[in-house]
Amino acid sequence: MKKLTVLFSLMFFVCVANATEDQITFKSEQQKSTYLELTAELRCPKCQNQNIADSNAVVAKDMRVKVKALLDEGQDKEQVIQYMINRYGQFAHYQPPLNVATSLLWLMPIGFILFAVVLQVKRSKSKNDVNVSETGAVQLDSGQLDRELELLLESNTLDGSSVDNSSKDNKQ
Amino acid sequence: MIPELGNFALYIAFAFSILLSIFPAIGLKQNNTRLMAMAPNLTIGLFVFTLFSFACLAYAFLTDDFTVVNVAQNSNSLLPIHYKFAASFGSHEGSFLLWLLMQSGWSFAVAIFSKGLPVDMRTRVLTVLGWISVGFYAYIIISSNPFERTLPYFPIDGRDLNPLLQDIGMIIHPPLLYMGYVGLSIAFAFAIAALLSGNLDSTWAKWSRPWTAAAWAFLTLGLTIGSWWAYSELGWGGWWFWDPVENAAFMPWLVATALLHSLAVSEKRNAFKSWTVFLAIAAFSLSLLGTFLVRSGVIVSVHAFATDPERGVFILVLLTLVIGGSLLLYSLKAGNIKSFGKFSVFSRESMLWSNNVLLVAATMVVLMGTLLPLVHKQIGLGTISIGEPFFNQMFTYLIVPFALLLGIAPLVRWKQDKLNNFIAKPLVVIAISLTLSLTWLFAEFDEIKPLALLGATLFIWIMLFTALELKQTLNKVSFSKLPLSHFSMVLGHIGIAFILAGVGLTSQYSVERDVKMNIGDSAELKGYEFTFEQINNIKGPNYEGWAAEIYITKQNKFVAELHAEKRFYPVQRNTMTEAAIDAGFFRDIYISLGERLPDGAWALRIYVKPYIRWIWLGGIIVALGGFLTLFDRRYRNKKALAKG
Amino acid sequence: MTTKKFNFRLVPLILFVLLLAVLLKGLFSDPRERDSALIGKAFPQFQLPDLYDDSKQHTEKTLLNEAVLINVWGTWCITCKYELPYLAKLANEYDVKIVGLYYDQNYAPEFGQFADIPAIRVEVKDMLARLGNPYQYNILDLDRSLSLNLGVTGAPETFLVDANGIIRMHHMGDVNERIWREKLAPIWNEINQ
Repeated sequence: MKKLTVLFSLMFFVCVANATEDQITFKSEQQKSTYLELTAELRCPKCQNQNIADSNAVVAKDMRVKVKALLDEGQDKEQVIQYMINRYGQFAHYQPPLNVATSLLWLMPIGFILFAVVLQVKRSKSKNDVNVSETGAVQLDSGQLDRELELLLESNTLDGSSVDNSSKDNKQ
Repeated sequence: MIPELGNFALYIAFAFSILLSIFPAIGLKQNNTRLMAMAPNLTIGLFVFTLFSFACLAYAFLTDDFTVVNVAQNSNSLLPIHYKFAASFGSHEGSFLLWLLMQSGWSFAVAIFSKGLPVDMRTRVLTVLGWISVGFYAYIIISSNPFERTLPYFPIDGRDLNPLLQDIGMIIHPPLLYMGYVGLSIAFAFAIAALLSGNLDSTWAKWSRPWTAAAWAFLTLGLTIGSWWAYSELGWGGWWFWDPVENAAFMPWLVATALLHSLAVSEKRNAFKSWTVFLAIAAFSLSLLGTFLVRSGVIVSVHAFATDPERGVFILVLLTLVIGGSLLLYSLKAGNIKSFGKFSVFSRESMLWSNNVLLVAATMVVLMGTLLPLVHKQIGLGTISIGEPFFNQMFTYLIVPFALLLGIAPLVRWKQDKLNNFIAKPLVVIAISLTLSLTWLFAEFDEIKPLALLGATLFIWIMLFTALELKQTLNKVSFSKLPLSHFSMVLGHIGIAFILAGVGLTSQYSVERDVKMNIGDSAELKGYEFTFEQINNIKGPNYEGWAAEIYITKQNKFVAELHAEKRFYPVQRNTMTEAAIDAGFFRDIYISLGERLPDGAWALRIYVKPYIRWIWLGGIIVALGGFLTLFDRRYRNKKALAKG
Repeated sequence: MTTKKFNFRLVPLILFVLLLAVLLKGLFSDPRERDSALIGKAFPQFQLPDLYDDSKQHTEKTLLNEAVLINVWGTWCITCKYELPYLAKLANEYDVKIVGLYYDQNYAPEFGQFADIPAIRVEVKDMLARLGNPYQYNILDLDRSLSLNLGVTGAPETFLVDANGIIRMHHMGDVNERIWREKLAPIWNEINQ
């Protein structure tokens, strides 16, 4: 299948006299993808909030050209980013640097998740007696999905809060 | 004359909001039912006059009344009529009036549809809404009046609407988004009312659930349309950029999603109540914070309105009163809330708790990512940018546990379930999901990319579990008896699955090419042949420019003929790229016309974006799920509500 | 344990108050203002022609031995027109040495765009005659390579370079009375003591 596609496109190229030039000729697919990543991650210093790939500002164009030139020189992604940061500051890269202040970006959500997990485990331990009836309702019996379904079907029994329903469930 | 009427109506509405915030409250205090009964009527008045005021503004725009500053600055006689209407909410002032219209509209709906509510509860809710309204109306009248006149020296023509906003998206996106933002004030009002009364039983959750669902569904739709609009209008094929303003709309959505789930637990199991109240406060607070960010100029964004600090200070005072006041109330009163529902570590409650924790953690990521650059600069550490690489990375980590639990949770029983029942099934399902997604990617693409595989696997995982759950449920109940809210859940989850697959596949497999073309040239991308057929001069009502016709074939078969434009809007001196899109269920072809090069050739950017439509399709499915809840008999039946 | 008594429900309120402080401060600062990466570093090496004379070359060494303001500008730049008279005043009345770095927007050989240098010279002469000429001389940065090395985002921008060739200040936007007084003059006076 793939071969067929290639064949077709080859044929097409032969038929159509003028094949199109790319605006930028990349040395390899690898280079192209690095270039695309870089132009998406570098921020246009002149614009409101755009990366250099999407901006038409002169400085964004210059930075794109420079990125390509640096890649051609054999620099890797990190080196190109550092090159731009040295000139335009940390502002030019959409990934924040790691320091005491920015560590909160990672620590706060992670801390919150850990806190919540501990809280939940503690809570369920102290209230381990789930099977003890609440408001005089039901024990958790062997009852498969019934209870859940009953809860779910509250709407069919228009008169009820969940507790009422549970007692109905018991009568069944 | 008409603008004066509109202005006058706005003042009357302001007066109504003041009355609404005072008299029913006195009635509550003195147990005076006549004063309490005023609340719905005052709310109706508030809405009617705001509606009239908005109609006057729209009229001024439609009739090109350039004696009004707002019209002169945001419209033009040559602007097509539907954009003239949209321009009435295209500016800061106009959009704020739209906000008020929505706010009073929601309050109106509460006044009309909550007849089943106990009188004191309804009065309290409307009073809280009245308090919020007073602040907003004062703000618009004092610092953002949309009816200000240019007299006596009015311009002959207006400065036109920003070309970016001249799109169908502009007509539908802001109203939807505001419906969502402002709708969250209802859940907020219910929560505050409950805190004030100290009466927080599960019926409170039942009342506030349909309102929350409605607001959330609007917000979902607003975000979806916004993303689609950015994609089709900005001309570089992006659909989400983690811009501060996008984040400002995304945060309330995340919290509202958490709220929706926690309300379910509060209603059905009488648990999480204090937490639910907090989420209700947080959701609306984040809407307000978003408004502040957009309108104060604190943050550099592509979407921000033109700003001045005086307005910023005013909104900041509003924020302090509304958010600060409600958080203070929460810290004082929430301790009295008792949750009775008990549950074990492995139960539906736990699952929903995890859902909430992950959503709130995601909100923290977005909040910190949006505001930290500001803090960082202010404490003297220098300017930094936080964008795509950071957010994408964090969301990839968060989405995995979220999506995995999302699949299982609906099968887990309330209160307590056996973990043993949930070992074999997930293992089988994950194996099937992996196999299927590998096959899928292998058949369609050249290489397997990890993140695409992740998206596809999670998609199949959720779909399989949802089907499993539906089958189990339908074994017990007949299809027709299944409550609509159950289908809401199913739709919501399927929608998320589509979004995950769409994001995963399109972000990994989109390809693009920057080419230079003369007439007759052709270029190849992903098996498609793009032939540059012709380029023509075009002239629209308020712009001129160039249009390229591109003929697309695949294996010599016709696919589409696309029409990409480059427009110049002389009044705003702005150039716009009107991308040409061949939309498809499995892929989009996207072409944007660049500039004309000195040698006469044209620069073009061509993209092939697989599965990108799934993102918006998913968003629409999710929103449908939300709207479906409203038709659930449980929430529509007055008797049930009253009894609850 | 004292923490046992701590009301966790106060946490959101406390965080909110902190946030308010940040937002309030944010309201009164310019969101676009940002620090430059170049301050404290040596002026980058370069070799570029004079705007009026191709044969005359300038390098970073020509800037040494005396404090100097390097002003990035162009005739296409509207803000520069408002800035020129004030810069001329600085040069004439306060003897501030100002060197122009001419920033051309069009030159982009990758896209087949070249600049018309004779036309630029005419425009520059005309504009300086009308609005005042603050410049000792102008360096022509046709391909904007020096500008890129300086972290220039557009025009106007101004660098304050001391006698040792170290960049002491980088201002983005126009230089006016207030900017000179608050941002540039203190450093200028310090290095010229």
